[in-house]
Amino acid sequence: MTLSVALGPDTQESTQTGTAESTDALTAPDIPWNLVIWNDPVNLMSYVSFVFQSYFGYSESKANKLMMEVHKKGRSIVAHGSKEQVEQHAVAMHGFGLWATVEKATGGNSGGGKNGGPGKGRGKRG
Amino acid sequence: MAKAFKYGLKGITGFLEPAERELLRSLFDDVISMLEPEDRGNQDPLAAMIGLDMDVKEPSDRALRRLLPNVVKDDGAASLEFRQLTERSLRESKIGALRAAALELDKDELVLTAADARHWSTALNDVRLVLAERLDIRDEADADHVHQMQDWSQAEDVESYLALVYNFTTWLQESLVQAMLQSLETRP
Repeated sequence: MTLSVALGPDTQESTQTGTAESTDALTAPDIPWNLVIWNDPVNLMSYVSFVFQSYFGYSESKANKLMMEVHKKGRSIVAHGSKEQVEQHAVAMHGFGLWATVEKATGGNSGGGKNGGPGKGRGKRG
Repeated sequence: MAKAFKYGLKGITGFLEPAERELLRSLFDDVISMLEPEDRGNQDPLAAMIGLDMDVKEPSDRALRRLLPNVVKDDGAASLEFRQLTERSLRESKIGALRAAALELDKDELVLTAADARHWSTALNDVRLVLAERLDIRDEADADHVHQMQDWSQAEDVESYLALVYNFTTWLQESLVQAMLQSLETRP
């Protein structure tokens, strides 16, 4: 038989002196990530534009521009943010049936794509 | 014959013949049964409740993989980790939309609220993604080829039948999305 001796917060005080905060600071939540939408031959262009307008709140012209970029170039970066933010967007896109992936932003925040090294100048976005 | 969806005073309305409703019901049911997670008796109930699934794997079925894609390209490990946290709830939200759309089929005339329309558009889209995998639609040329198939009297084998069904759901979704886009334009 054993007697439960639960430790209250006051008894643990000495074991936790300000270490939690300093380790959290190293995960840098503001490293930019990209949300990428990939082309596929099934999703309707109108539907993809509707999703961009209704989910991201983009204007019709911005949504159509991104949709055409997906259609013509095979992929488009449609949003940026922290890893958590773009992952949340990706799940939402999968919910809509769009093919979305996340990737670490490369070459600054111009979003030229995975292989677009510096100097390629493909920083155009909607 | 079905009538295209329209946006008007009542919201988004449409009309389907009984045979078309039955077809859609069976399509929605098929995709629901694909998405229903297999029942694993030894699953931790608390983990299941909060949507975690530590035993999840990348689906081997191509159509299911399209519905539940990897979140990081060329990184199976990172994608799997993400699946453990999100796949169960993604399956559930897709099943929820498919069930909601199927419920609407009980009535002759479809009158959809904004939320109903959203369920319908994702449900139809998931059905089309699955049909497209079964039809081996890999690129725009394949899609064009399937699109040629418009005459029901030509339906002589499973593939041509699937192509006709695919084209019907494509037409229906396009008319729905046009109505939804119109509703966005007129929103306050």
